[in-house]
Amino acid sequence: MNPLNPLNPLNLTAPLALIIFGAGAVAGALGVVLGLGGGIFLVPFLTLALGFPLKSAAAISLSTVIATSSAVTARRTGNQMINLRFGMVLEVATTAGSLLGGITAQFVAETTLQRLFGAVAIAVAFVMLGRINRRNVIADPAADPGRLGGRFYEEESGGTVTYRIKRLPLALFASFIAGNVSSLLGIGGGIIKVPVLNAWCGMPLRAAAATSALMIGVTATGGAIIYYGRGDLSPLLAAPAVLGVQLGSWAGLRLAQDASVKWLKILMAALLVVVAALMLVRSLR
Amino acid sequence: MNHEAARTARLEVRIGEVLRFGTVASSTLFAVGLVMALAGYRSEFARLLLETGLIILIATPAARVVISVIEYIRERDWVFVVLTLVVLLALAASVVAAYL
Repeated sequence: MNPLNPLNPLNLTAPLALIIFGAGAVAGALGVVLGLGGGIFLVPFLTLALGFPLKSAAAISLSTVIATSSAVTARRTGNQMINLRFGMVLEVATTAGSLLGGITAQFVAETTLQRLFGAVAIAVAFVMLGRINRRNVIADPAADPGRLGGRFYEEESGGTVTYRIKRLPLALFASFIAGNVSSLLGIGGGIIKVPVLNAWCGMPLRAAAATSALMIGVTATGGAIIYYGRGDLSPLLAAPAVLGVQLGSWAGLRLAQDASVKWLKILMAALLVVVAALMLVRSLR
Repeated sequence: MNHEAARTARLEVRIGEVLRFGTVASSTLFAVGLVMALAGYRSEFARLLLETGLIILIATPAARVVISVIEYIRERDWVFVVLTLVVLLALAASVVAAYL
C-alpha cells in the first residue's frame, strides 16, 4: 500500500479519526430515526468526501451496521416491538442474499447495480408517499396475529396493536435482495426491507423497523467476514466509525421517540430519492 | 400470555444480553485501542485491542443466532431450529468464501 495513501492505517491522524467519528455519529443518528443502518449516508461520505475506495467504505460501513444493529436491538428487547420469529424466517433470505452478493459482484458491472438500486429506491419512495396515512393494524386486541404476525403496545394510541403478515414470498424476496445489496454496497438493507414490509406485508412501520434492525446485524456479518478475511477491513478505521455510530444511535433513539410515523415516512421517501440520485449520477460517470 | 409468547419473550431477553455484552466489549476495546494508537503509546498492544474489538463485534450477531438455535432446540421447535441453523450455515460459508 502506498505510504501516503490516507487509507494506510499507519497514517490515521487524530483529525481523520475525528472526521470519521463525526460522520459515524451523524449516520448513526439518522439511521436510528429512519430505521435504517446508517450506511446509506456513511458510504457516500467516505467515498465522495474522503476519497476512500468503495470497497473500504463498504467494509467500514458494514462494521457500523453490525454495531448499530446490536446496540439498538439490545435496547429494544422486552417490548415485543421486534418480531423475533418473523425476523428469523427472513434472515434465511437476507444471509443467503448477502452470501450470493459477494459472488454476483464478480459477474455484474457495478454501474448496472447502481442503476438498478436507484430505480428500486425511487419506486419504493413513491409507494411510501402513496400510502402515507395507511395503518397496518387490526383494532381488535383479541384478534389472532397468526403464526408470524405480532402484537405490541403502542404508546401514542395507548392500545395494543395487532398485525398479521401478508405475502410471505414477497417479504422473503425483498429480504434476499436486501441482503444482496447489503454486502455489495455496505449498507444494512433496511432501506429495501422496511418499506416493502410496511407497504405490502402488513407490518406497522415501527415493528418493521425494529425487526429490520435486528436482521441487518446478521446480514452485515456475512459481508464483513468476507471483507475482513480478505484484508479490506482495517480495525483502525472501523473503530472511530463504530464509536461515532454508537454515539449517534444513542442520540437517535431519543429523537425517534418524538418523531411521528407520518414524518418518518416522508423523511424516508425523501432520503430514498437522494440516494437514488447519488447512485444514478455515479453510474453515469 | 400464552406459552409461545412467554418463550419468545425469554429468548428476546437473552438475545438482548448477548448483544449488550458484545456492544459494550467491542466499544470499550475500540475506545481504549484507538486512544492508545493515536497517542502512539504501545502501538502493538493497541492494534491487538482494536483487532479483538473488531472480532467481538463481528462475532456478536453470530452468537445471537447460536443462542437462538439452542433455545429452539430446548423448546423442540424444529422448524425454527432448521431456519436458524441455515442462517449459521450461511455465515460459515462466508468464512469459507473469505479465506478461499
